Amino acid sequence: MSAGPFDADRDFRAAEYVLGTLPADERAAVEAEILRDPVTEACMRDWERRLAPLSLAVPDENPPPRLWGAIVQALPGPSAVSIPANDNHIAALAGQVRRWRLASVGAGLIAAGLALFVAVGPRVPTPDAAGRYVAVVTSAGDLPALIVSVDTRTGTAQVRPVAAKAPDGRSLELWYIGADKTPKTLGLVGSGASRIALPAGAAGGDGLIAVSVEPQGGSPTGQPTGQVVYTGKLIRD
Amino acid sequence: MRDDPTLVRLLRDIAAGDQSALRSLYDLTSPKLFGIVLRIQRDRSLAEDVLQDVYLKVWQAAGSYNPENGRPLPWLCTIARNRAIDGVRRKSEVQGPVHEDGEDWLERLADPRSGEGALLDRDALKVCLGRLDAVQAECVMLAYCEGWSREELARRHDKPVNTIKTWLHRTLASLKGCLEGAR
Repeated sequence: MSAGPFDADRDFRAAEYVLGTLPADERAAVEAEILRDPVTEACMRDWERRLAPLSLAVPDENPPPRLWGAIVQALPGPSAVSIPANDNHIAALAGQVRRWRLASVGAGLIAAGLALFVAVGPRVPTPDAAGRYVAVVTSAGDLPALIVSVDTRTGTAQVRPVAAKAPDGRSLELWYIGADKTPKTLGLVGSGASRIALPAGAAGGDGLIAVSVEPQGGSPTGQPTGQVVYTGKLIRD
Repeated sequence: MRDDPTLVRLLRDIAAGDQSALRSLYDLTSPKLFGIVLRIQRDRSLAEDVLQDVYLKVWQAAGSYNPENGRPLPWLCTIARNRAIDGVRRKSEVQGPVHEDGEDWLERLADPRSGEGALLDRDALKVCLGRLDAVQAECVMLAYCEGWSREELARRHDKPVNTIKTWLHRTLASLKGCLEGAR
């Protein structure tokens, strides 16, 4: 490329595109031009290269630790809910469960939003905990959205919403994903604690609990159709 | 370290669907990309959403990265900048208020820790920006690093938008001339 003034308007369009100052409509037009005109594309690459050192000079800023979880959750997979929590997640969830147990005892420290959980009270210890699983269902944030305990011996799940909110005109639907990877509905998430029957074939225990946003009243297909907003791994109680 | 061979290898693994490679790339590059996005988006919570999109895009586009077309970190920075700029220009994400702390971008270019290699390019850009009219060079840096629109620059300088456009045109032409002459 020659030095000096712009050879053509398109070099300036490419430059302003890279600079970021174009209004949305002009920006879209240049993007289309880049796709069909290799010269404009070359102009854009040259400008990206020229200004890149400025981009590298922008100071680093650490994103919050929870962001990675949100990215993993949003990755497209064979099925939207087939990505299992990794070992770290399980360890973290086990830690959360312990903290929530402690919190349920030290009620004085509990924030108001968690009253529902507290109302359930300290757990009654059972002599035989086999067949009992619990999942702290989160949206990659710090606070649980739901706490789901599954008892495979009685075939029931208990759901305690903590901070789960459905968008207007939508319902949150709860799913259990066991070893066969097929989501089975556990019903809609209500505003209060509820006890629901496990679907047939959900007696295996270990698995994933997921919550999706569905049309009001629940998924019309029997499978999740909307965005999965929360997931949690069942761990042995 | 986020050296070129490591990033190139990770991008290749990501293109093959390796989620742990994406994690490694995220660990190495997310502070840089979040810094870029946050400067432009200005609102921390929306910047987090943008950064999430950026890595989903990297997951999808890693296979299209070609080392012959440039170094990996600038490629990633471009994805982050474009996503952030798209959001604020389309007004699909409301840009936060302008930073009042007034970063001196020319000064930052001179910071030996900020260059990430490519010293020649960085030094040339610093020299050339330094030769421009200071006010107009500042417009270029505010636009590029902090996502200022023509309208915002016009308000800052109390000039019509068309004047800003002319300034940018003239400044970019001088910058290009200087950089091409330095090569």
